[in-house]
Amino acid sequence: MDHIVVSNLTKKFIKKGKRRFLTREKEEILALDHISLRVKKGELFGLLGPNGAGKTTLVKCLATLLIPDEGTAVIDGYDIIEDPISVRKILGITTGGERTLYWKLSARDNLKYFASLYGLSSKEAEERIDYLLNIMDLKEKQHQRLEKYSTGMRQKVSIARAILHDPKIILLDEPTLGLDPSFSMFLRSFIKNELNRKEGKTILLTTHYMEEADQLCDRIAFVNKGKLIVVDTSKNLKRSVSKNEVLEIKCVGNVENLVGFNAYMENKRDYTKVKILHENTEEIMDDVLKIIKEKAKILSVNVKRPTLEDVFIHLTGSELRDDYE
Amino acid sequence: MNSFYNIHIILAEVKKSLKIILCYPMEIVYWCIFPIFWAVPFIFQGNALVGGMKSEAFSELTGTAEFMPYILIGAVLNTYVLSALYGMSNSLREESYWGTLELILGSPCSKIPILLGKALNEAITSTIFAISQVFICIVIFGLKIAINQILPIMLIVILLMLGLYGLSIALAGITIQIKQSRSLIHTVEYLFYLFSPVRYPVDINPWTKTISLIIPLTYALIVVRGITLLNKGLIDLWQNVVILLLMDIALIVFGYYIFFYIEKRARKSGIISTY
Amino acid sequence: MKMNLRHYLRAINAENIKEWKIELTYRVDFIRGLFEPLFYVLPAILYGMAIVGGRYSENLEKLTGTGNLITYTVIGYVFMGFLETAVWGMGFALRKEQWYGTIEQVFAAPVPRWVYVMGMALHSTMHQGLIIIMQSVVIYFIFGLVLDISGILPSLLIIGIMMISLYGLGILLSSLVLIFKEGWIISEILYSFMIIVTPIAYPLAVLPSILQKISMYMPTTYGISTIRHFLIGESLGFSVFDAVLRLLAIGVLWVIFGLFIFNIVDRRVRNKGELGTY
Repeated sequence: MDHIVVSNLTKKFIKKGKRRFLTREKEEILALDHISLRVKKGELFGLLGPNGAGKTTLVKCLATLLIPDEGTAVIDGYDIIEDPISVRKILGITTGGERTLYWKLSARDNLKYFASLYGLSSKEAEERIDYLLNIMDLKEKQHQRLEKYSTGMRQKVSIARAILHDPKIILLDEPTLGLDPSFSMFLRSFIKNELNRKEGKTILLTTHYMEEADQLCDRIAFVNKGKLIVVDTSKNLKRSVSKNEVLEIKCVGNVENLVGFNAYMENKRDYTKVKILHENTEEIMDDVLKIIKEKAKILSVNVKRPTLEDVFIHLTGSELRDDYE
Repeated sequence: MNSFYNIHIILAEVKKSLKIILCYPMEIVYWCIFPIFWAVPFIFQGNALVGGMKSEAFSELTGTAEFMPYILIGAVLNTYVLSALYGMSNSLREESYWGTLELILGSPCSKIPILLGKALNEAITSTIFAISQVFICIVIFGLKIAINQILPIMLIVILLMLGLYGLSIALAGITIQIKQSRSLIHTVEYLFYLFSPVRYPVDINPWTKTISLIIPLTYALIVVRGITLLNKGLIDLWQNVVILLLMDIALIVFGYYIFFYIEKRARKSGIISTY
Repeated sequence: MKMNLRHYLRAINAENIKEWKIELTYRVDFIRGLFEPLFYVLPAILYGMAIVGGRYSENLEKLTGTGNLITYTVIGYVFMGFLETAVWGMGFALRKEQWYGTIEQVFAAPVPRWVYVMGMALHSTMHQGLIIIMQSVVIYFIFGLVLDISGILPSLLIIGIMMISLYGLGILLSSLVLIFKEGWIISEILYSFMIIVTPIAYPLAVLPSILQKISMYMPTTYGISTIRHFLIGESLGFSVFDAVLRLLAIGVLWVIFGLFIFNIVDRRVRNKGELGTY
């Protein structure tokens, strides 16, 4: 059974440009371009794509915070446009951004407030909050104001808030963004083991960390520039290019003469990274190195098995990550 | 650092601040018009209480029976109070929100021309607002100002600004240190309303009269009203002018020391107010 | 449905309690807020006294049937506070959530928007009630007030009816503030204008006739005059029954209009994705 059915979802934004006397230039941005997908009950589904791919827009549409221009989505039988209140009842959501809770209130007060909005009775709320604070290991600091919490602890409260009303379906928008590794590890294991495996929640998670998607998700959708590129399991995605190996060369200089090798180039600050997907890299290695050496200096040469990132590059021609290395 | 360099910084600051204000055209229109509207209820109130636009009792306290121009002049000069109290501290608060405050405080130039630039910007904008308000007063309410009164009034306005911006610099310093300085500034504003003759003649009550003596705005209002409503010259009112001048000096020195004391402390403790 | 109503009431109360908790963390602001209205009413009283040279105004008596300018002005200003509540308390509720960053979380919860707005209304009315009590006590000790005690209960009733329209205004403003960058100016302009056409420190008879006509559509006109009628015997140009009827009619109209605009804005921000931006 499908818990989330997205059909043809489209969303445009108008971006205001330069002012010209009385008029203003307008630029249309297609944030979601006719996206359709299905998430099965109990599935942990990942939306993987670079910043600005449209992941957050999709999550906000599903959470009824945005009204799509075209298409719709049905969540556990409820249409997001026709019946937003019913959708909100069965959804838990965390949105990105640093401030999503009341920093002037304690963790407990924040949770109590939202419990009322989600219709929990005081007794239910107290029990549920105790339980959540316990598993999130926040019991000791539950009465401290959030302004005194670390980013990671606040994110824990955020997730506790999202699952307060024990929703069937959870939308997590970049849940580990900006967290230090130990918090990220805790949250990932919590999402996979506690929420998904033990409690059987259907989870839709967005991320631009390839490892996160690889490690957590049953199936992954690649999103780029508002378009859905492909949906499959991590294994199948990798298998689709598995006949291939990745020849990765770091070098300094001009490598534009590599045309014809299906090469992907990433310009880093100090060097250029060239990636070539090929069935047998040994076969082409000599030729490639020779060509590169004509105009550039080689720093290192590597042959690797393809990662999800390589699959993404292969399919979209653009990078997934823009933040490190 | 030579003075040419400092003037350059002042002008850069003024230019930047003016450009930012121009991004909010609604706000400019608002300040050009609305402070006069706040005074309107007082005019109707006076009319309701005495059944006309003149009051004998009022004249005993103020020397003029016409309460309407009295109130309007208070409203126009109040624009400078609001600008001094909120303008500079809001500007610093915004810089802190944008993250540019740290860059400014960390830059190698002296902070004095930056503060002067901010004050000069406030002076320019509030004078534009005040002129527009006076124009409305003349057209709609028939306020009369003779040409030969303009120069002495401008002199007093400049003296008033000097004192107020001294206070303003102190408040700007406090804003760097205390996030909730808004509360303090609001309180100062209300004290001005209650203890200086902006909205009513403080002479009516010995308490308010005594306290009003320590507020520079009191003297500026006395002189400007003296010139416009009682046809007096600066020479007749010289004592008020001298007191205003002395207060200016005291407030500027006070503002300067408070600001630099706090700036130093803030750099030691690392609090450049965070939002 | 029954379950829903209980859920909604609990949510309204939770909203109220949350606001109290947040406000009380800004202690200095909170205390200042309690005394702030005094700094508006005291200059107005002293100004009135300077104009008539005492507490009694013959002309005011002629116009309103009551000549004590202090009680007249104080009651006007105290109840003007409710207007302030609607404009600033409720009007800026959503903008505040935007600033906290919590508006999306609140809007993703399964309660209709009016539940949230009612929570804000409950909170700001309670807060204003507290301010009024503080204010009345201070003024009583400074000037001494003579009020008709038996008029208190009917006055509370009138306030209750007047609040309906003011909530309508609050709902309207809270949505406008959400979409306009300089929303505070809209609120300021509306507030300044309403202050002029409301009989706070003067009867409407002194206003130019066009303003008098406009004031006939303001709930505060009927609210404040009728309250003064009960407390100090101001003579009214209309019957109390009439006043109540008009208050109710204006109330219903304003609330419908407020909700109408609110819904348009809610759809607009969800269409344009402007909800979380501040």
